[in-house]
Amino acid sequence: MSARSFDDVSFGDDLEEMKTDVSLDRIKRFTGAAGMTFERFTNHEAARKEGLPGAIVPGIMSQGILAAMIHRWAPGSTIVKIDTVFRAPLLVDSDPVCRGVVTDMNKADRTVEVDLTIVNEANETRVLGTATVRLEG
Amino acid sequence: MDLAALKRDWTGFEFDTAEFEVTEQQMLDFAISCGETEARFTDPSHEDFRAPTTFTAKFSGRRMLPEEFPQLSRRGFDAGKCVEALAPVRAGDRLTGTSTIHDIFEKTGRSGTMIFIVHRMEFRNQSDEVVSIVDWRMVQQP
Repeated sequence: MSARSFDDVSFGDDLEEMKTDVSLDRIKRFTGAAGMTFERFTNHEAARKEGLPGAIVPGIMSQGILAAMIHRWAPGSTIVKIDTVFRAPLLVDSDPVCRGVVTDMNKADRTVEVDLTIVNEANETRVLGTATVRLEG
Repeated sequence: MDLAALKRDWTGFEFDTAEFEVTEQQMLDFAISCGETEARFTDPSHEDFRAPTTFTAKFSGRRMLPEEFPQLSRRGFDAGKCVEALAPVRAGDRLTGTSTIHDIFEKTGRSGTMIFIVHRMEFRNQSDEVVSIVDWRMVQQP
């Protein structure tokens, strides 16, 4: 993968959409790494007993997925800051899509601002956020 | 509830310190399960192998709020997290996370008034370098 330089980017650019794997197996690997033991993340039935429609993707995993999308779009870039809002539950075993758009550029420090969303199959926003990303070149 | 008094009395209050060990396996599992594909996150033999940017968001201290903090509601929820990355986190690092109440504010929406409490954890490595700051917005509905 080649690096994406600041000069390659324009205001309003869309990041390549990214489909992401939020299968139960993937969630279990994440929760193991994160030391999360709540069954609402790894057991659909337990989550339903808590009043949820099914097991939900941990918020910090959604945040990590959005960071991964940025790195795929701009390999070698540095995420200086990423802020995410967990607006509504994102369900495990669903088929979400991650999106991003460049909303500001700062030539002095070679950074861009990116608006981020994760939507579900119904195109409903589940997670949204912003990131400041430093690009090389 | 007097929000101004709550903010005045608690903002900046430091209430917890905890230590965390960073392992290569945690870093790999976190990166791969989030879909990272760059070798600096997924290949321990890479010269710049490091934890993914948001890795420190997984750490929580022994307490979510100070012991004496008033109970505003019976239930709250996690409204979001902000991670500021200041230096790479490496396998084998020992991080010290210090918790403070960073901010308290109110918002009113369709479901009524909500109180946001921002729990900040600042992480320093074994060289006392600040590597990451994580702001965790907790919502309580009085």
